[in-house]
Amino acid sequence: MTSIELITYVTFSYLICAVVYLLACISTEQESGFRSGALGLLIIIWCVHTFAIGLRWVESYQMGIGRAPLSNLYESLVFFSWCIGLGLILVRMKFRTDIVVLIGLPVAFIALASTSLLDPTIKPLIPALQSNWLVAHVVTCFLGYAGFAVSFVAACLYLVSRGFNSLEPYLPNQRLLDEIVYKSILAGFPMLTIGIITGAAWADYAWGSYWSWDPKETWSLITWMVYSMFLHARLARNWKGRRTAALSVVGFGAVLFTYFGVNYLPGLHSYF
Amino acid sequence: MNHPKGPILDGSMVDSRIKDEGAGKEQSVLSDIVSFFTSVRTTIVILCCLAIASILGTIIPQNINLEDLRRTASPFYFRIVVILDLHNLYRSWWFIVLLLLLTSNLLGCLLQRLPKIPKEWRGAADKGSVSFHRSDSRPIHEVKGMLTESVSKLMNKNPTVVEGGEATELVWVKHRIFLLGFPLIHIAIIVILVGGLIGLLYGFKGNIQLREGEVGNRFVLYPSGAIATLPFDIAVDSFTLTRYETGQPKEYRSDVVILKDGKEELKGPIRVNQPMTFEGISLYQANYQVVGVKHVRLSVKGVDGAEEEINIRPGESIPLPGGELQIKLASLDPGTTSRGAGVEIDVERAGKQDRVVKVFRNDSDPAKVEDAKIRFLGYEPLYATGLQIGYDPGTVFVWSGCGLLIAGFVIILFTNLSAVSIRLTQGDGRTKIRVHGRSRRDRAQFREQVEATIRESLGKSSSGA
Ligand code: HEM
Repeated sequence: MTSIELITYVTFSYLICAVVYLLACISTEQESGFRSGALGLLIIIWCVHTFAIGLRWVESYQMGIGRAPLSNLYESLVFFSWCIGLGLILVRMKFRTDIVVLIGLPVAFIALASTSLLDPTIKPLIPALQSNWLVAHVVTCFLGYAGFAVSFVAACLYLVSRGFNSLEPYLPNQRLLDEIVYKSILAGFPMLTIGIITGAAWADYAWGSYWSWDPKETWSLITWMVYSMFLHARLARNWKGRRTAALSVVGFGAVLFTYFGVNYLPGLHSYF
Repeated sequence: MNHPKGPILDGSMVDSRIKDEGAGKEQSVLSDIVSFFTSVRTTIVILCCLAIASILGTIIPQNINLEDLRRTASPFYFRIVVILDLHNLYRSWWFIVLLLLLTSNLLGCLLQRLPKIPKEWRGAADKGSVSFHRSDSRPIHEVKGMLTESVSKLMNKNPTVVEGGEATELVWVKHRIFLLGFPLIHIAIIVILVGGLIGLLYGFKGNIQLREGEVGNRFVLYPSGAIATLPFDIAVDSFTLTRYETGQPKEYRSDVVILKDGKEELKGPIRVNQPMTFEGISLYQANYQVVGVKHVRLSVKGVDGAEEEINIRPGESIPLPGGELQIKLASLDPGTTSRGAGVEIDVERAGKQDRVVKVFRNDSDPAKVEDAKIRFLGYEPLYATGLQIGYDPGTVFVWSGCGLLIAGFVIILFTNLSAVSIRLTQGDGRTKIRVHGRSRRDRAQFREQVEATIRESLGKSSSGA
């Protein structure tokens, strides 16, 4: 089986897992066997996902190209959903809340499913992309994005819970959600920071300038500033609840724009 | 640095306001300025402004030709653009002012806060997650012994003991390095900003084009377009372009020698992602151009049927089999038609032009010149390599700052400052016990642990006060 086939199976497994999770959450109580089983399923799928990424790496070596599977949009989406999967598993283990997983799984599924619109073949790397800094850059950025995605899901739930009293009983405790909003950003922010730093190091090696204000760089910096505002508001000004949740939503908007929207702006870096 | 429930900042700002009420007006202006530069609110506002400015910069096209704009835009818009430097926004005066404000804000905050660190380092925990009083009928030294033993077990270390007058203080502090985490992060950002500023002021960037075999030191500065001279010469031995089987470029490589006063100083390849640095000036592979032909490969078949491969250079004459005719390159077509790349060849007889033939890569039949058949095999282009030149004395600062930043993150994420201080005093015939404690993480759990430890250690003979 090739990694591309494996990824399509993984994609649909995430969907199935989301359905199983939904059933488990509706039909049973917290900490039931069914729910643990659903979590186990998620972990297994995630491991297969990990394996598929590794397999693609091996395949690229077999084709004589030999590079980390992180360079085109297809590969980055596969990796992004991998990061989300990891984030969900960690949040589930630490905070024992299933609903974040329940909401996050379709996100991972959609990210993966959208790869079917893209060219999945392994192409050789043009010279500018042949850099270990690039690998470190992509990995850390996406781990950061995954943290922000988890925070975003929790923030939305928090806002819904505050906004619609009738839904509150069905959602996790607001204190817990608020904690998840904050903690996932606390984990994601250093990752994004390292991502920006390694990206700058790469640019310095490839183009001779660590920062050239191209739209992608600029937008990642804007994202960084938004989350920095979040942390200051939270740690130094003691903001909590609705306002920080709103900041988390804004921040994730910036993340999405950095990732997808920037392509619509004029004047992108062309990779030599 | 006090966390998150009781930021010291808020306390200290209140203090200064209270003092101000008694003081004159000038002082309140001064303290307004001080609190402007030391407040997180300012930080958030500046960050917002920077974010909005950066967004503008990604919408308004940067580094365009202003002359074109003068002709097309309205005079009013044009004046605004010139004053605000909107098309060079990230280097405009007001953007730099914003960055300087951010730096001062950070610095102000640091200066205000650094002096407090030594005290916290020693364990002072005025505001914390646990704070309670008890009193006990037993004498101080006995209580001290019991508490030392049990709390030391909880904190996993021995206390520092301060005996001052009638009070005895026991202090346990764990992971105090945590206190350096946030200052380190902020210092790191100042260092990065300073590095960026140094680069902006003292660095330069430019571009140089050199043919294979050429030596040069004059380059074009970016973005002004002025010509400048390097303090050394660059000699380009060769440029190589390697492709994957699919035809995609795999590697661009310039082999160069750096010469200083004609002496060879450094030699090696420059590739994309592998620059060369000499005397702080870095050379990067940026682009290339085909500027001519090194030689053309032809196959020539004589009457006897023997096929021979020849390399012919521009300007060179080569005799055809038989010896009467000579051929010379006239022009090269790098492949603009469906016939592929090809050449025009002057055929000469006794030094005089006889006729012109054309051969192309994709021709099915060879070109015939009398008895000889000529095929086009390929050509070796002559390249000019485009090297980018960069000098930035600020990068050292930027990378050191990045290192500090990461160190700061490691500290705040992986250490957990916790402290307990117990103050014992004698009063009304009883030993009074004041307990303060704080922890950065899992505060509720820490509070319970401290309370339980002390309750159990003192047993029934003590009471809450
Ligand atoms: C964009 C760069 C940054 C600027 C301009 C900045 C600026 C400031 C300023 C002016 C303060 C106020 C200090 C005070 O409360 O007296 C502050 C506090 C703080 N900053 Fe930053 N900071 C930056 C980045 C960061 C980063 C990356 C972090 C890490 C997560 C961070 C964490 C904090 C924390 C936790 C406080 C509160 C400290 C406390 O109250 O004890 N800052 N910052």
